Amino acid sequence: MPDPNWNRRDFLKTASAATLAALSAGAARRLPGFEPEPDTQPEKITPTADTLIVLWMAGGMPHTDTFDPKRHMPFEVGMDPARLASTFPTIDTAVDNIKFTAGLEKIAAVMDRGALIRSYTAADLGFILHSRHQYHWHTGYEPPQTVAAPHIGAVIARTLGPRDPVMPAFIDIGQTFDNGEGQELRAFHQAGFLGSEYGPFLLPYPNQAAEAIRPPAGMSIDRFQNRYKAYRKLIEATPIGQHGSEYQHDSLTRSLDNAHRLLSSPAAKAFDLSLEPKASYDIYNTGRFGQGCLLARRLTEVGARFIEVTTEYVPFLHWDTHDNGHTRLVDLKKQIDAPIAQLVRDLEERGLLDRTLIVLASEFSRDAMVEGKADQKVQDQVDVPPTLTEMKHYGLHRHFTGAGSVLLFGGGVRKGMPYGKTADERPCTTIENPVTIENLHATMYRAMGISPKLAYEIERRPFYVTKDGTGVPIRELFA
Amino acid sequence: MAERFWAWSVLLSVSAGVAWLVHAQGLPAPASHVTPVAPIPEPIDFDRDVRPILEAHCWKCHSTQKHRGDLRLDSRDAVIKGGESGPAAISGRSGESLLIELVSGVDPDRIMPDEGPRLTQPQIDTLAAWIDQGLVWGTEVVVPAAPRYELALKQITVPPASAGSQSSNPIDLIIGSLAQEIDASSVPVSDRLYARRVFYDVIGLPPTPSELETFLGNPAPDKRENLVQRLLADNRRYAEHWLTFWNDCLRNDYAGTGYIDGGREQITQWLFEALYNNMPYDRFVSELVNPPSNASAGFSKGIIWRGVVNASQIPPMQAAQNISQVFLGLNLKCASCHDSFINNWKLSDAYGMAAVFAEEPLEVNRCDRPIGTLAKAGFLYHELGEIQPDAPRADRLRQLSALLIARENGRFTRTIVNRLWARLMGRGIVEPVDEMDNPPWNADLLDFLAADLFDRGYDLKKTLELILTSRAYQMAATPSAEKFESAAPFAGPVVRRLGAEEFVDAVRSLAGIWPDKSDARIKVPGVDGPYPGPIRAGLQVADPLMLALGRPNREQVVTSRPGVATTLQAIELTNGGVLDSILRQGARRWLSEYPAEPRSLVIAIYTRALGRPPTDSELRDAVDLLGPTPGTAAVQDLLWAITMLPEFQLIS
Repeated sequence: MPDPNWNRRDFLKTASAATLAALSAGAARRLPGFEPEPDTQPEKITPTADTLIVLWMAGGMPHTDTFDPKRHMPFEVGMDPARLASTFPTIDTAVDNIKFTAGLEKIAAVMDRGALIRSYTAADLGFILHSRHQYHWHTGYEPPQTVAAPHIGAVIARTLGPRDPVMPAFIDIGQTFDNGEGQELRAFHQAGFLGSEYGPFLLPYPNQAAEAIRPPAGMSIDRFQNRYKAYRKLIEATPIGQHGSEYQHDSLTRSLDNAHRLLSSPAAKAFDLSLEPKASYDIYNTGRFGQGCLLARRLTEVGARFIEVTTEYVPFLHWDTHDNGHTRLVDLKKQIDAPIAQLVRDLEERGLLDRTLIVLASEFSRDAMVEGKADQKVQDQVDVPPTLTEMKHYGLHRHFTGAGSVLLFGGGVRKGMPYGKTADERPCTTIENPVTIENLHATMYRAMGISPKLAYEIERRPFYVTKDGTGVPIRELFA
Repeated sequence: MAERFWAWSVLLSVSAGVAWLVHAQGLPAPASHVTPVAPIPEPIDFDRDVRPILEAHCWKCHSTQKHRGDLRLDSRDAVIKGGESGPAAISGRSGESLLIELVSGVDPDRIMPDEGPRLTQPQIDTLAAWIDQGLVWGTEVVVPAAPRYELALKQITVPPASAGSQSSNPIDLIIGSLAQEIDASSVPVSDRLYARRVFYDVIGLPPTPSELETFLGNPAPDKRENLVQRLLADNRRYAEHWLTFWNDCLRNDYAGTGYIDGGREQITQWLFEALYNNMPYDRFVSELVNPPSNASAGFSKGIIWRGVVNASQIPPMQAAQNISQVFLGLNLKCASCHDSFINNWKLSDAYGMAAVFAEEPLEVNRCDRPIGTLAKAGFLYHELGEIQPDAPRADRLRQLSALLIARENGRFTRTIVNRLWARLMGRGIVEPVDEMDNPPWNADLLDFLAADLFDRGYDLKKTLELILTSRAYQMAATPSAEKFESAAPFAGPVVRRLGAEEFVDAVRSLAGIWPDKSDARIKVPGVDGPYPGPIRAGLQVADPLMLALGRPNREQVVTSRPGVATTLQAIELTNGGVLDSILRQGARRWLSEYPAEPRSLVIAIYTRALGRPPTDSELRDAVDLLGPTPGTAAVQDLLWAITMLPEFQLIS
């Protein structure tokens, strides 16, 4: 329902809200002096993408059982776990020199629209923990830090702002925070020192996303609009001198205006999955993650800037396969295969893929034997019996940082491009072109037109968007 | 080129990969599958590796002071530009770089440095690798470091009150002597506004209509002073309110990272009691720094993260950073990694403080690499006295806490009075409040308040009382600025927005709806059984409403919260479940007390919410909204509209 009082001048006022917010006390200041140096960044960074979608495989996705197949070893009682590389057979993709494991046929069919990094190499942060590595992946900094490090979504929101002024610039789909490590998850689902303006708009249940931008449950649209009109009238009626400063007064009323604008904007419909045609909805509807992909597509269409869709991190669930790895991956692949492929196809069909970068990643990979340092037993690592006797042992159950797969689609990324290489023998470690989080982030930022050396000042020191400004984009990945 | 080095080096540092090469020998897999990993130079970190070399051997002759041979080596551009003999270095080509040629001594007649020791081969290799990797420069000085502010307090003589002076409060006399107009022409705010300010600032709640009525109707000339004293004596509500401020400073919470596996301990009960009993501030800090029991130990113990953490975040270093920040208003964060570029603190200073807390000998790390020396415990201000580095830990803690609270340490009292002033006035005498080397806008005032705190036995309530009863506090509010400069003159308290907990409490007061139980496990002195209501927001685990309104994750020390209104907050306020539920229940309660008579309902709600009856036009508009026979929905909507008003959310 468009607000009848909404006019162009209001629109301009709205647009300046972010600027105002940025100027508020305590907010981080962008440092002009820390723009890319002409010498190290010979090309001016022209963005190749306007929107970034991160598809988060939470809990540790094993590369050799997904996008980087090795010798397939079917389950046999008595088999040696030290020889276990892939528990799925290899399949072809649309690209000759890229193979996947079985169960990912639909993504395989669209591989010619994207690039595959096989050599993502997670940092060694002591013993390997999901929450720490997820924090590291999402902020580029190892926890803990002396200042609250912002999520990459917040960096993008702060640096580029929303594409559509009514839309939250950083949208996070699929994660809840009431599990055992909820606080650890909260620690990086935030804008940190950049200020809460740039924090995530949380949509834990895609099917209920519409409620997040709808009047409270049980309130009709009429009542909702009357309530707002009454508020506007009461503000007008407030005696002069009770307003506080104009700046604060404006910032309060403008923020409420923005909220109401979003709630009554055409963009709001994008949050409502029930408006999706059934045939299309059914393709995506493999579960919450699939619905999240659909929501991401709908939000991209109406001007989202940064979206993360997660399979959701819950200790020992989803990709956190401490047992039954193979069996559970059969199901996980069903959840991700169709929706991701459809997301790529739909964006392409709508002419949006070229300006939307999709990145699929996980905090680390998995191996049958190695956890952390190969010669050292890690606290709480999964017990692997000397020989496999039961199906529940069959899978890759230990946390592995030596390699990992990252898929990229659209957003100016070279099509059908493999990058990096892993060894054919377990633990199938990176042997060519290792990619660190700094360089992966630099690559994503580059697509979005952001220098990896961009810094924000906090407590009088520069805080770079990649650690100490060291990230270097992988140029080979760009067309 | 550079990216290859970075990338390869990470492979090397991922021991899993390297170790596997060894491990693989024992496996049946043929070794030919293994692609050997080429030895690749370590990535150079300028601040860690290069800066110390340049500092020790080059900058004496080639930087700001001197530029011999017309050469400076203190910025990347200067190195590339070079001097009389041409560029000192060519990015990516150490073999062709003059710098390497000269330091290696290829030509015995031209060796650099020409004074002092020659560079060692590893140092030369480091410089060469640095050049090859693109001459990446390190952290720049953002703002020149302020010179260190004098430690001792100045002796302040409070000017005598002049004839006809409105105030004998020393704050006003000190300010007034500089700015007559404050004393002479400013009209204090109305009783109503004053009461609202003082209630929020002391107990974090608005006055109830009857509390306000009593105050307004009181003819006593000293009723403002009496009100302040009465509120400060309300130990429980005072403690409930100030708990939030101290929880932020001391990063105490009822849920958060670290608690999951005992890596963090609450100090909630200790803190609450300390506030309730108005523990003198010197003892308060002593018990945090040198805990007499486990009850107050959580702050200096810090947060123990699982896994390996950066050397600058080990628990003793957390203690050094947080104690320095909270109690001395100084930033040791940079210096805990390397000599600071933004202030005058050195790596050795930070490690000196950290070593006081270390249970075992503490190895000094620069930028997360050990440098082969052990830290020597010491205090930051050596002129105040020393800590015996070899004394047992318990003695070191005792010595540290004694040095912190020593009378001669003016920094200690200045920092806390400045925090209290900033809380009440909306900006500090020194800004930012964590940079106490910045010049104050009124040095006499700052030192007077600091000395006064000491003289009155470190009684923080006395400082609060002094500020709250000053004419300066009673001046009309000034607009909030985007950022306060430390030296900008004082023009009255700054309009401030209610904090997350204050807003929730204000809404709950209006609704008359409170939570059933406290998440903070607190026993109120002298009260048996569960926490007596009403349960304040500061005693609850952060909910989506409080998070949206800026209640921080308390993983880092937070000494001030931003007051800006954001769209994400507004969305939560517009349709969030927490506020909706409080207001719905509140509407039912209001209706049960004022059944269906719109006018009296509106008057009562306005009076409760804003401390004043509605104006005629407000009454008309509000009655319009309610309709002739208001139901829960209409009343709820009125409550919502009123709580969204700037007048409700801002303290002016």
